[in-house]
Amino acid sequence: MSTAFAPNSRPQGFAASSRLDRLAVRSHDLSKGNRRNVYVDNREFLVYHWSGKSSAFSPATGEQALGDDERINLGDHNCRVDVGVPYPYVAEMPSKRDGLELTAANWAKDYAFFLDHSPAEVYPDETIVGEFHWQLDEARFYKFPDEVYGLGFALRELGAGGISLAHTCPDLGIGLTLGWGGLLEKVRENRARFEGYGAADRVEYLDASEQVVLAIIRYVGRHADRAAELAAAETDPDQKRLYEKVAANCAAIATGAPATFEQAVQWIQLFQVVERINGHGNGYGRLDQLLIDFYRRDTAAGVLTREDARSLIAELFLKYGGNYFSFAGRNRELKDATNEVSWVGLEAYDMIGGYNHIGVMWHPEIDPAYYAYACDVVSRHGCGVPTLINYDVLRASELYSGYSEEDAWNVSYSGCQWYCAVGNEYSDHDLNCLVLVKPMQRAIDIAIRDGIQNFESFWRVYTEEVEKTAVALVAFKNKVYEWHPKVWPEMVTSLCMHGPIEHGRDVTDSPSVNNAFTSVNVLGVPNVVDSMFAIKKVVFEDRRFTLAQLREAMDVNWQGQEVMRQVMLNQEKFGNDLDGVDAMYVRVADQVLDTLEHKRNIKGFTFRPSLFQYMGHTYAGPMMGATPDGRRAEEPLAHGCNPMHGRNTAGITATANSLMKVDFSRFQGGSLQIELQPRFFDGKDNIGSFIEKFSRTYMAHGGVQINLNVIDLAQLQDAIVHPDKPEYQDIVVKVTGYSAHFVLLDREFQKEFVSRVNYAEV
Amino acid sequence: MLTARVFDIHRGTTHDGPGLRTTVFFKGCPLACRWCQNPEGIGFGPQLQWHARKCIGCYSCEAACDRGAISHESGPPIVNRELCDMCGACVAACPAKATTLSGTEYTVDQLIGAVMKDRKFFETFEGGVTASGGEPTSQAAFVYEFFKGLKAAGIHTALDTCGLTAGASLERLLPLTDCVLFDLKFIDSGMHRDHTGQPNAAILANLARVVEFARANRGLALWIRTPLIPGASASAENVSAIGRFIRSDVLDVLDRWELCAFNSLCREKYQKLNLAWEYEGVGLLSHAAAEDLLGAAREYVPADMVAVTGILAE
Repeated sequence: MSTAFAPNSRPQGFAASSRLDRLAVRSHDLSKGNRRNVYVDNREFLVYHWSGKSSAFSPATGEQALGDDERINLGDHNCRVDVGVPYPYVAEMPSKRDGLELTAANWAKDYAFFLDHSPAEVYPDETIVGEFHWQLDEARFYKFPDEVYGLGFALRELGAGGISLAHTCPDLGIGLTLGWGGLLEKVRENRARFEGYGAADRVEYLDASEQVVLAIIRYVGRHADRAAELAAAETDPDQKRLYEKVAANCAAIATGAPATFEQAVQWIQLFQVVERINGHGNGYGRLDQLLIDFYRRDTAAGVLTREDARSLIAELFLKYGGNYFSFAGRNRELKDATNEVSWVGLEAYDMIGGYNHIGVMWHPEIDPAYYAYACDVVSRHGCGVPTLINYDVLRASELYSGYSEEDAWNVSYSGCQWYCAVGNEYSDHDLNCLVLVKPMQRAIDIAIRDGIQNFESFWRVYTEEVEKTAVALVAFKNKVYEWHPKVWPEMVTSLCMHGPIEHGRDVTDSPSVNNAFTSVNVLGVPNVVDSMFAIKKVVFEDRRFTLAQLREAMDVNWQGQEVMRQVMLNQEKFGNDLDGVDAMYVRVADQVLDTLEHKRNIKGFTFRPSLFQYMGHTYAGPMMGATPDGRRAEEPLAHGCNPMHGRNTAGITATANSLMKVDFSRFQGGSLQIELQPRFFDGKDNIGSFIEKFSRTYMAHGGVQINLNVIDLAQLQDAIVHPDKPEYQDIVVKVTGYSAHFVLLDREFQKEFVSRVNYAEV
Repeated sequence: MLTARVFDIHRGTTHDGPGLRTTVFFKGCPLACRWCQNPEGIGFGPQLQWHARKCIGCYSCEAACDRGAISHESGPPIVNRELCDMCGACVAACPAKATTLSGTEYTVDQLIGAVMKDRKFFETFEGGVTASGGEPTSQAAFVYEFFKGLKAAGIHTALDTCGLTAGASLERLLPLTDCVLFDLKFIDSGMHRDHTGQPNAAILANLARVVEFARANRGLALWIRTPLIPGASASAENVSAIGRFIRSDVLDVLDRWELCAFNSLCREKYQKLNLAWEYEGVGLLSHAAAEDLLGAAREYVPADMVAVTGILAE
């Protein structure tokens, strides 16, 4: 079967130089060679975002690392380059030699040693350098005290969990303005101020911070030394010049602020390296806003062309291996912020293709040509890049939750479905989870015990159980927050935030940044919606089965109860633009919103639900068992707030309409995931234009995000069976909010992904 | 109350007229094309369908039928269509929705309500609503009121017709129609009769009516659609003959000529009606064959006005 369009086709438009091609080959080989994978400890981590083992994501090596039989691969989602051996200096780490203390000073000492003993690497062909092979959690013991674990296991029983690590968005503008030397000065000035106040704890923190900055300055300087050394030995004149350029750039930005576009890009790459090395990554903000002044200055001075800039950003993408940067959106005056770097950034992706996580923030006044280009890029590459996000809903949602207008305008898409007020928040995005199926299951048991006979009474029981889980989540998170700044401060991130250095408190501490909400992914909303609707109709209205009969049938995974399962399955289902069940969707979503937004964390901020959870649905199915919506235990749960697999049969517009019924400006995200088959377009239509119009309509009516793949189902099915076929090695899919190579994904993810491909034909 | 029998509503279609559309499939068709893609749309009344893939073998249908029209031995339920009076009792009883009735009654307001759900998409995509079938003009009085309501709401309308209908009902609909999708299958009337059960003289006369109307009302768009059926209409002779006819009689008001490649994806529909289908095993048209036919068509009609649509074989 063939169509006019081939997915994952080679990019058109911008030819990469042979030098860039070589860098692309290296970058893609690292991914395909399983050297950029991110792991989590176990399936519990995916479902509850808490493994009960390590304190965050699975350390790849070291004393807390798990074997391949236990850990789960999230795919190539990482800028860490695996070299197959543990960190060589583990035994000499200060905390191992002199004792582990849960203080910023002790952490900083480890960090400085770790960075001082991380190689400064410069590879041929590179203008932009900086890569790393180990994260600090592979060398420093990273575990919360037992009291946290006690609360965590109790919470898991109730259906929730979470971690706290990174997943915010620093303001790289701070560092680009000050440089490392300026940041050092800022730390010292504030320390002097706090010395004057006699605030010993703040002074202690800033002492530690100083050690961190000094280590980074040494690390950047070592890149300059290494490049100079290579230049001296190099005989090829072009490569020699390139090494000299790297040496000059790194020498300049070791302490100084970047002076050129090229140095700014290099500064960003090295910041990402020294920051991500602490355990996990962040979104890094609005690249077009960060670089526009450098771009305009250098192009006006005639030292930079658009092609040069495109090539430098392409290097940045290849080097980090998938960046969470955003483009467009609005500026402080709420005017369209699209600029030359917005174009150059997308062109850079267009030139190299492959996996990336960049997002374009749409709003009604966006430069239409730019947005059309973004949709054209999605359609031609077919990898779900860029992600399409609604800037106005992001901002409205922050204002609704209590961010100031001054913080909210500079919102940036920062990760799978989450976004941040750049440099102004630390909110655990995408790190906590509430599995809504669990309270519903308890409600069913209670309703059977109490002989409840009508739906509204059952609903009340359900809301009480959601409340119970939420209360336990608050208790757990507050305990984590008490320990967090001591156990694992995020001292590099803190340098590029508004507040931590000025307050002398880590970004994980409080008061530190302006906003410190607790973001919670809510898993299983569509299954609870479909279940509640079916229970209401079949149990309480038609009285065809009792709750007890239903419960018995689910206990045995519907064995011998296929008629009952079919009855439950064939009620109205969410995702088909049906008023009855969609009203239940709004009710379920609003109820969890109401529950969480009335909870406060010890930092004084509310909990914010997100109608999204990146991969937990795959493994949650068997863990939850069968559900009243007619779902069998072995089936996954629905993905985020997308309809349960195979249940949206009324087409893409009906599904979009169903989702839009919730007011996303009160939630922390919730993406519409669409896997289109090329067959959807049979020659008449231009895919880019279809995507542009569809997404524009969806977002103009309140939709917040679209993750879009254009993918051939038959090809993916075959790729599961024959993952080694060369033609499948380059297939990139938007797994959820991130993209990865399909053949590298965990097998359960692959199967689940294929099962959700729909909209085959119309 | 005026009602119509509708056997399907497809939302988000991009193949039935300009932009993104909702297509309403009206029941009943005067032709009997041997390759018909919508067999459940031919009859005017409701039709019982049984979906093997969904059936769980609970025989609730058999128990619900008071005419004894459903029985079984060891396998699936067997419907005696002679005894069945389409009462729908088995449909209501089926927990798996394996048994269904093709054809739902709609009032004009209900149908307008159903298609308006995608209004926001029509606006962005410059699309609208297409009346298809079956043959929509077989329920012309209803379609007239339906289109009148849509036009009053500013919705773009398209009429997808096989062309065999009373000239007067067609003429009554044209002022409410923005785009006519007119099927032209064969120029040779004998071939037409052999493959569709009817000669084509009345169809060509109706096309002349549409062309005449379009000449007087330049707002009406006219698309000609020719199904490319292997072994039947998909020949260079037939496409050339249609092309010659279009050039001489239609071209001045033509907007688009679509050559619609055949596929047999609808075979399950025949199984659901217990009907044999001679096209069940017929494969897709090859790229090369489609290119040839496109070339033949472009001998007569400007290249940018004619296109092949649908799925092709490698």
